[in-house]
Amino acid sequence: MIPRPDADSEDRVIFLRDAKFTYESGVEALKGVTLVIDKGEYLAVVGGNGSGKTTLAKHLNGLLRPTGGQVLVMGVQASTRTVAELARVVGYVFQNPDHQLFCRTVHDEVSFGPANIGLDGPEVKRRADRAIAVMNLSDIRDRPPLSLTLGLRRRVSIASVIAMEPQVLVLDEPTTGLDAREADELMAIIRRLNDEGTTIVLITHEMKLVAEHANRVVVMMDGKVVLDSDTRGAFSDLGLLRRSKLLPPPVTQLAHRLSQIGVSKDILTPQELVFELTRGDDQ
Amino acid sequence: MTGFLDLYSEKDTFLHRLDPRVKLLAVALISVLAFILTELLYLVVLLCFILLLLVLARSSYGKAFFALKFVVRFMILITLLWPLFDRSGAPVLFSIGPLDITEPAVWRGATSAVRVGCFATLWYILMFTTSQRDLVRALVKLGLRFDYGLALAISFRFIPTFGLTIESIKDAQRARALELDKGSILRRSRNYVSILVPTIVYALRTADTLALTLQSRAYGAFSNRTYLREIRMRASDYVAMTVVVLILLLPALAKYIYGVQI
Repeated sequence: MIPRPDADSEDRVIFLRDAKFTYESGVEALKGVTLVIDKGEYLAVVGGNGSGKTTLAKHLNGLLRPTGGQVLVMGVQASTRTVAELARVVGYVFQNPDHQLFCRTVHDEVSFGPANIGLDGPEVKRRADRAIAVMNLSDIRDRPPLSLTLGLRRRVSIASVIAMEPQVLVLDEPTTGLDAREADELMAIIRRLNDEGTTIVLITHEMKLVAEHANRVVVMMDGKVVLDSDTRGAFSDLGLLRRSKLLPPPVTQLAHRLSQIGVSKDILTPQELVFELTRGDDQ
Repeated sequence: MTGFLDLYSEKDTFLHRLDPRVKLLAVALISVLAFILTELLYLVVLLCFILLLLVLARSSYGKAFFALKFVVRFMILITLLWPLFDRSGAPVLFSIGPLDITEPAVWRGATSAVRVGCFATLWYILMFTTSQRDLVRALVKLGLRFDYGLALAISFRFIPTFGLTIESIKDAQRARALELDKGSILRRSRNYVSILVPTIVYALRTADTLALTLQSRAYGAFSNRTYLREIRMRASDYVAMTVVVLILLLPALAKYIYGVQI
């Protein structure tokens, strides 16, 4: 059943109602997506290449407008607001940080967004300082962002978006090109943002990230949501994941193989598997 | 986005199969013919012939419409503006203030408009029926240095890629509440810096990577390079070439040897 837009709760930050989108080239990227995102969720949107996940994400801050159906942000029709207005509520971090870095220092870069939404000088500085502190960039605040390593460039690009203090943060493949340590550091910071109340929408096909961080998984295939469940549930149907061109993390695959000796299939982390196996020994 | 980044579309017509060198020659010679002809009637006949070629090239309606829209607008503009600047001849049709609009000037305007229409449509047919790769190949075959040909091919190749990247950069900055068309001129030009800098950085990085890619594929390692696909003139190409030469030669002979007014 499709929920009605007026049955709106306080916690609902984003509501897509049968949203459709067709590109000018005629490609139907969204074929009727209904999705409710509540405040404070940590949501992962997963799917193979061309499944429509980035198209979906671009509807959340108005970069794309649905060609059918509705998108509501904080209960307001997104189509009646400019991207700049929506950017205060929904921050969108692009996959490639080099598509947005242009300033002479990290501090200038991070101040760009808050200045654009018309805040006054002291408030811009307060928000930029806070974002720099959150992303652990204080030591390099005066360095030119374009000469930093990819891991740091990505952190600067995220800082430049969270400086606008959006309630929802959309991250498109934030760990691409990062090494394990950089990725872990970044994901830990994002987790902290979520703990502090920011709603996170993570777009990825890195299932390990999903397993370790998200609370809810939306699987997309051919422009439609084929599964919307909590993370554990999402990994129990291997067939569906395979059809969506996705592969669960190795530890979950192993758990599926071990299910005949009584291991539960919804294992998400190595620790859980160890716990499950040692508990088995005791019996 | 309105324009088409690549006008070429893959079809199987005689214009597509024709050797690109013959096509280049045809564009050159028929353009010369359009210059030689001075009578409006004959120019209109030539334009009709060129439009017939456009139909035979079976270009998609979208692209043909897109191309002709510009050509027709340009032709109308020439027809309207010509008499304003060319006030020679008589009789005067009418006067607007100090401006005399004369009848010969109106005809000359129309003639020039049709002539420009011929040139433009010819080029469009060439672009519709010849892939950029073939065009570059033909130019190299005609004596252009391979380096320059390759540079030309690469720049064609990267136009769509660049277009997409610039769109993505714009989106990334709009997501940071950038409003491109708001504020004073100073503010706006400052706003464009946020698009320009990432674009230039991207271009430089791409060029760097491209240079490495070319080197790693042994570009320039041997001075005597061979080609996978040689373009070769076939009998039909020679026939087409002869026809094109005659199309220019016969009217030129008629005009300059026999003094026929065309």
